[in-house]
Amino acid sequence: MASAHSRMKCGEFRTTYQQDTTIFPTPLARRVAVLSVIFLLVAPSFLNPYFLNLGIQIGYYGVAALGLNIVVGFTGQISLGHAAFFGFGAFASAWLNNTTGIPVFFCIPLAGAMTMALGLIVGIPAGRIKGLYLAIATLASQYILEDFFSRADWFTGGAYGAMANPFSIFGFEFNNDQRYFYVVLFYVVIMFLFGTNLLRSRDGRAFVAVRDHYLSAEIMGINLTKYRILSFGISSFYAGVGGALFGHYLGFVSAEGFTIMLSIQFLGMVIIGGLGSVMGSLMGTAFMVLLPELMEAGVGLVGHSAPGLTHALAYIKEMSIGLAIILFLIFEPDGLSHRWRMIKAYWKLYPFSY
Amino acid sequence: MRKSIMLGSLLVASMAFAGSVSAADTIPVGHLAAYTGPTSGVGIPFGAGIDDALAYINKTGGINGKQIKFETVDYSYNAPRAVATYKKWMSNLKPVAIQGWGTADTEALVKFIAKDKVAYVSASYSGHLTDPTGKSPRTKAPAPYNFFYGPSYSDACRGLVQWAADDWKAKGNSGKPKFIHMGDNHPYPNAPKAACAAYAKELGFDIAPSIVYSLKPADAKAQCLSLKDSGANYAYLGNTSGSNISLLKSCGTVGVKTQFLTNIWGWDENSIKATGDAGDGIAWVVGAASWKDQAPGMKTLRAISKMSDPSGTKPRMLHYVRGVCGTFLMKEAMIKAEAMGGITGENIKKGFEQMKDFVPAGLEGVCSPSTWTAEDHRGTTLVNVYTSKYNGGDFQMKKLATVDVPRRDEWLGW
Repeated sequence: MASAHSRMKCGEFRTTYQQDTTIFPTPLARRVAVLSVIFLLVAPSFLNPYFLNLGIQIGYYGVAALGLNIVVGFTGQISLGHAAFFGFGAFASAWLNNTTGIPVFFCIPLAGAMTMALGLIVGIPAGRIKGLYLAIATLASQYILEDFFSRADWFTGGAYGAMANPFSIFGFEFNNDQRYFYVVLFYVVIMFLFGTNLLRSRDGRAFVAVRDHYLSAEIMGINLTKYRILSFGISSFYAGVGGALFGHYLGFVSAEGFTIMLSIQFLGMVIIGGLGSVMGSLMGTAFMVLLPELMEAGVGLVGHSAPGLTHALAYIKEMSIGLAIILFLIFEPDGLSHRWRMIKAYWKLYPFSY
Repeated sequence: MRKSIMLGSLLVASMAFAGSVSAADTIPVGHLAAYTGPTSGVGIPFGAGIDDALAYINKTGGINGKQIKFETVDYSYNAPRAVATYKKWMSNLKPVAIQGWGTADTEALVKFIAKDKVAYVSASYSGHLTDPTGKSPRTKAPAPYNFFYGPSYSDACRGLVQWAADDWKAKGNSGKPKFIHMGDNHPYPNAPKAACAAYAKELGFDIAPSIVYSLKPADAKAQCLSLKDSGANYAYLGNTSGSNISLLKSCGTVGVKTQFLTNIWGWDENSIKATGDAGDGIAWVVGAASWKDQAPGMKTLRAISKMSDPSGTKPRMLHYVRGVCGTFLMKEAMIKAEAMGGITGENIKKGFEQMKDFVPAGLEGVCSPSTWTAEDHRGTTLVNVYTSKYNGGDFQMKKLATVDVPRRDEWLGW
């Protein structure tokens, strides 16, 4: 009888702390997550390289976007310099590999650690200021790093950029999309699991406390400066790993790729995906990566009848991103993850939703 | 709710048709253009030349009956975007040849195209692209699949300083003239910097420390004041025409008396009109016939222009003509490749390397003769130095000299 009752739930009830802090809210969610990873594991064997390329892009940008979400969405700080950290990770990994010969396999986490160290340094002033002042401070780090990239010949190859070797392990090269897809998938799973876990920990809840009410958090014994700096550090680690994955995928790293525009795009990803949502980071990234492709495909469909559109494609792509951010801010400020929760709630209670 | 469901179905629908495949009996060619971004002022006419030439080739029978299937992508002068486009092409379009643009992206792609065996005709004339074997000690990486139509940036700049040295004497000056390099901190303006300064020194110039000014057009009075202070007699401008317009206007206001020299992308019909009197007397490199010229090949050129301008009234810029020349050279290389057993990147490369004092059929007098060998990808070392006069809007372009820059072995790849 009792088991029948438990099956006839008309809502989601959590009766223990353990239930409240599981990684996956429901058994179904866990099964879906595991199944989708299994699906992605076999996907390269039948997916066309075009989709693999998009998947890889969503992967490395997604890792970096999660990092930004930890600072912006969970700790409530603002960062306009995320692209510079992303770039630093890419250059650091290429540099480590090219100068020391350490295999790329190890260079990627090492680049993450180097970027984290840099993020902790940049975070020192950032940990003491907030609001607009913090925005400007992170903007400064964006410009300082950008200039560093175009001048530090020894590190970045200067204006010419740096070549990055393909990912390899024990002489086996992950030099095509089919193979590299697995590398990115591995990092996405690890980094997202780590991110979800982090937020269940004391540190993660401290971040949220700092975001929700920094004064109350401080009264409860949370060291504000420490957690703000830590948040920047962890965020930079994510950016560095994402950047390194990007660098070794493209095979070429150039300072031109890490401008303030990319920082804004990262912000767009976490806003569209949902501030303060781990899965939202991935959803927002997928949206931002797929939207220009969607525009291109749309233009391709009607392009034969309106050749002028094909020439305007570059504008349409850029414009659609800006438009998407504005539309989301107006109609869905909580992002895709909130929308997704609403859809789930709708079906869970169907047809008796209230 | 309905909105999100619609969004989802749109996404799925887009995935269904996004990945298209190419037909078998066409020749896939990629075209990386800069219709936006800091170099779009010269990128638009050059890209139009390529697009029109490709359309014309297809209309007049293609390559021995095979149509060229080309895809034009505007990469906004952003090197990483060019590399990403290249990777995307290699998974769907699979081009055998690419018409490319900037120095940063072309040099970044050198290793990729060598590995994938794709013939690459760039609008970058960087000297670093001229050594196919890597035998020159100056060469950082061999560039076996890179070709471009015209003298390299380094040779063009050498030609300009050679002209400057003669000009200095002709004007009856004594003492050492002073030479300065100006340009953005970017691979394209930097490409000839060291090579040109070395030759200028050899010719007896003093070299002033170079001045950086932005590739994006912006006020440059500060740079003009530095130029004035440096006391340079000859200044080489490494940027493209849009940026040079603002520099020359700024320098006109500040009262700089320096003789300006600029490369093939640094000056054109538009900049003469836009700069007005401040641009008079500049010496620059011209690589093909201009629209008003009379030559046997002009008939073909005008027919090509009609592909996008059916009225035939639109005057075309020098860059347009060079875009056509580069594309027609690729076409001829493809015809030679077919005779060798198939249009592959490898055979197109060999086709180029068979050309000796070669002018594409139909463009006689429009394109300058080019020669490539398996050891040397300096298509030409003849540098045509021109000057212009605004003349109240009815501008004139006049040839000052044709400099035959020596083809030294140690300059290969530099």
